[in-house]
Amino acid sequence: MRRLFTMPPQLFRIVLLAVGIVVAYSVARFFLTPASFGEYGWYRGAALAELATRQRVYAGKQACEECHSDQYQKVVQHEHKSLSCEACHGPGEAHVENPDNPDVKMAVLHYSLCLRCHEANPSRPKWHKQIVSKNHYPGKCTDCHLPHSPAEAP
Amino acid sequence: MKNSISRRSLLGRLSAVVAGVVAAPVAKAAKTVTQKLLVSADAPKDYDPTKHEWVMALDANRCIGCGLCAEACKRENHVPEGPYFRTWVERYIITKPKPGSGAARGETLVDSPNGGINGYPEAPVPKEEIQHSFFVPKLCNLCKHSPCTQACPVGATFDAPDGAVLIDPTYCIGCGFCIQACPYGCRFLSPVTKTAEKCTLCYHRITRGLKPACVEVCPTQARIFGDLKNAKPDDPILQFYQNNLVEALKPHLGTEPRVYYAGIDKEVR
Repeated sequence: MRRLFTMPPQLFRIVLLAVGIVVAYSVARFFLTPASFGEYGWYRGAALAELATRQRVYAGKQACEECHSDQYQKVVQHEHKSLSCEACHGPGEAHVENPDNPDVKMAVLHYSLCLRCHEANPSRPKWHKQIVSKNHYPGKCTDCHLPHSPAEAP
Repeated sequence: MKNSISRRSLLGRLSAVVAGVVAAPVAKAAKTVTQKLLVSADAPKDYDPTKHEWVMALDANRCIGCGLCAEACKRENHVPEGPYFRTWVERYIITKPKPGSGAARGETLVDSPNGGINGYPEAPVPKEEIQHSFFVPKLCNLCKHSPCTQACPVGATFDAPDGAVLIDPTYCIGCGFCIQACPYGCRFLSPVTKTAEKCTLCYHRITRGLKPACVEVCPTQARIFGDLKNAKPDDPILQFYQNNLVEALKPHLGTEPRVYYAGIDKEVR
């Protein structure tokens, strides 16, 4: 048997080592790279699904409407129609999941919530209805305004 | 010249190559299946990120600075207490120029105490000296050419195909390069997870057909959220572009934000 090219033994060992390193790198890379890496780009595609698994805290007003449609209908026909229920009543996902559990409570409402939006402030846009609370009325907001239909008195 | 490879060894080598070619995709498929089982038990099933283009628009003419958005964001995303915000509301006060100074306008004062969640203190200048004052909600600008993504050394932050710029928390090493790279200051290093965090457009909500928490609670529709790939002609997001002259923040940086503003002054950065 005649060989075309006889590799010197010292070179053979170096080539063997280089091939071994490349193979080890390829095998390690194959098993260490997550399967979804490169699915959409140079990142782990499964991260999108993982980020979508977080538990939500706010339920959205469609969830409120399912049970409280009477109150919902009242709000959407009056001045506060652009408000979401959870803007004032606080996050409601826990209540939506456990509607009968008395320990799961919505936020306690306070008059500071009215003033949060309606206290006069020179930075607020002029179209927005504002009052100077200390000149407006000394009592409670709800003495004169129903929060779900603010132009109506109780 | 006699062939040095015998029939037996040739067949042996060929079968090894075929086995390798067959085994590689099988192993890869098995890995994909295993990973999907591990991560996405609760993920929305029918959501395809390539079929959406989420954007947010902000109308400063409508913002009343109530801070409900910043508060809702903190609650929805469990953002740590303290000076950490994924969205916040800034108050801009531009004062009148001093008489005879030759200037068109005076100073620009910007503040956002606790992101606007607890309201704003009395204006630092009397009402008569204010030329303009307004509120500007801020959040991730959803850049098409996001500097944060380019700065990330480990591929942890990325531009998702649906327009959201997201962080893979299992890849983030907390080096903070993205925080320096963001020209809008929209990122922070979480003291809880020790990774970078930012607005995800409430990715867990939008993938299920809900609005982001800040948009949900905004009482004046100053925040408008929509899907440009699936918007009907009367969609609020298209109405916003139609009814307003819009601008983006820091356009000279070439980041091409997807977040557009209406009714803001040149002083807003």
